[in-house]
Amino acid sequence: MSGAPSLRGLRGHAYAAQTSHRQPARLLLSQAAAGTKVEIQSEEQAIIGAALLSEVKIDTPLGRAPRKLTLPDGSVFETDDHGGFDQLLGRQRGAALHDLEAFRPRLVTFVVFCIAAVWMLWRYGLDVIVAVAVVLTPPVLIEQIDKGSLQSLDFAMAEPSKLSSEEKEKAKRIYDNLLATLPAAEKKQHSFDLLFRDIPDMGPNAFALPGGTVVLTDAFVEMFPEQDVVAGVLGHEIGHVVEEHGLKRFYRSLGLYMLIAFLAGDPGPILEDIVLEGNLLLSLSYSRSQEMSADEFGLRLAAEAGFDPAGLAQFFSKVQELYGGREPAQWMSLHPSSSERVEAIEALIEAL
Amino acid sequence: MPSSLPADATSFEFEGNAKEWFGIWIVNLLLSILTIGIYSAWAKVRTKKYFHNNTYVEGRNFDYHATGKQILIGRLIVVAVVIIFQMILTALPTLGLILIVALIFAYPWLIVRSIQFNARMTSFSNVRFGFTGTTGRAFLVFLLYPVLMVLTLYTTFPVLDRAVKRFSINNHKLGQARFTLNARLGAFYWALFVAIAWILAVLVIGIFTTGVSFAAFFGAIEAAENDPGAALGLIGLFYLMFFVAFLPAGFIYQALVRNEVYNTTTLEGGHRFASNVTAPTLLWIAVSNMVVVVCTLFLMLPWAQTRMARYLASHTGFIPGGSLDDFISDQQAKGSAIGDAYTDLESVDVGLPI
Repeated sequence: MSGAPSLRGLRGHAYAAQTSHRQPARLLLSQAAAGTKVEIQSEEQAIIGAALLSEVKIDTPLGRAPRKLTLPDGSVFETDDHGGFDQLLGRQRGAALHDLEAFRPRLVTFVVFCIAAVWMLWRYGLDVIVAVAVVLTPPVLIEQIDKGSLQSLDFAMAEPSKLSSEEKEKAKRIYDNLLATLPAAEKKQHSFDLLFRDIPDMGPNAFALPGGTVVLTDAFVEMFPEQDVVAGVLGHEIGHVVEEHGLKRFYRSLGLYMLIAFLAGDPGPILEDIVLEGNLLLSLSYSRSQEMSADEFGLRLAAEAGFDPAGLAQFFSKVQELYGGREPAQWMSLHPSSSERVEAIEALIEAL
Repeated sequence: MPSSLPADATSFEFEGNAKEWFGIWIVNLLLSILTIGIYSAWAKVRTKKYFHNNTYVEGRNFDYHATGKQILIGRLIVVAVVIIFQMILTALPTLGLILIVALIFAYPWLIVRSIQFNARMTSFSNVRFGFTGTTGRAFLVFLLYPVLMVLTLYTTFPVLDRAVKRFSINNHKLGQARFTLNARLGAFYWALFVAIAWILAVLVIGIFTTGVSFAAFFGAIEAAENDPGAALGLIGLFYLMFFVAFLPAGFIYQALVRNEVYNTTTLEGGHRFASNVTAPTLLWIAVSNMVVVVCTLFLMLPWAQTRMARYLASHTGFIPGGSLDDFISDQQAKGSAIGDAYTDLESVDVGLPI
């Protein structure tokens, strides 16, 4: 097919270089000594622009959008005649991608693959990303998180502890006993400070911060004098610290957010909120699994340090007695329900 | 108040369709996954190009000229800076804190760079847009005014909103032709007033028809701490309020402001714009889109996006003041994609409300 191109050329529109001046035009190809030459001609056969084909920029095809060709001087030819364009200029870079994107039955395969891949990413990929991010987080930053959280806690709801020094000493001894059974490598990783605060709004409670600070509320120490209960609960909190639950939860929700941002792009109004809410519900379920995991860790630690692992179950039974029947539904809770935890703990003790 | 576009206006046209966009979207997703995210830079370009190319005014379309490589480099630089930042924070915490302050001041600069990049990479009828906003002005609009707004207990929100839109539009150019926004402050306050009036009306009607008093409501809040049933009821009430009062109020404000902005924007050469979107239609499209997309595991997202684009385009008008052949390109530094990548990451919305 080397014959002279038809005089009529390919119909379309042209823009003069650097302006919005648009006019009907034709695209013509001819052979010159230096190679194939491209010429844009107006209806009156005046030359709007010309260049060697090798110097011309041809946009990759995208849906049914007009095909576009730009000469080095900036003049442009565009046409809706996709067939004519391909026939004249041959198969262009990006044609394979364009074929791939065509609405055909095989897209079903892509859909299935994408759903499977997104599920895999969510199920396993995120854990890998989170693990890498945790390793890369500078310890200074984690310490800063602990300091910051404590400061805002003290400012907002916590009072200095009103416990006697004997009460504090007792809890501290149990805590040190538990820490002594941790491998030396683990102990170096975190500060493992034990602090006491009077936080009436939290009731009998204990919590851990990512850097290793563990806080006991006065109400907890007063309500649970039993050593085994204290050991179980502290073991649980040490579990949170050692397994880096705080950071992991943070990175996981961040990772999910990034994943959604990159994959879905901008989903538009309301959907954005839905995605974020869904993200929140998912992170709640993640948090419940972390609680179970910390229970398991705490049990083992308490048992190894010579305490009765049933202490933790005792704690949850008491909590259930106090608050039983008033706990929120599973799916909207950060923690599994107390009765479920008691059952799980008893099963774990069986297995120990 | 559904009014039609002025008689001398031709509406924007969106010619993309859901089927075609679905193919491009799913391949974007597929390749982004297969290349562990690297292709997402090219996917972004293809997405923008698709929506630009298919938006027409008087038979001329828009185009997007950034390359995937530019976007990728911008993103890599931003990620590298974040990592270096983290390392400095580890080694020299005090210097890190100074850097955080520096970053706050870099924020307006990045926003300007981002708008500039996007303007330069966008063209209409073979002529590129440009952006001439300064960092100093952006500092006022994006950092100082928000602080002032908080200090005035949000009563100056419409002032801030108009300042942001003025900054964006008045500094945009098509080639050498300037855009000018003449929006009245009163219109912004009116939009806010109507939105708040809607919320109050819903509250009053709700209390009147259901007979729920404020006392009962606060009683329920008290009870919620102990009673999961009451807590669930409160959550239900919250969602009801969200969908019946706050969400429509948001759309009322958006629709009124959008119309005002377009109706008072001019482009040098005597060209004007018009918009006649209505809050109920916007709300209907957004809510039904949401339901369909969620129920189809996001597979209908391309359909939802083209549907919204088509509605917005057909309710946006252009009133030519002369020939569209007379725009001339302006030479301006192209800039890099760093600002763009940063605003992508922070999902700052700086674009024109097209």
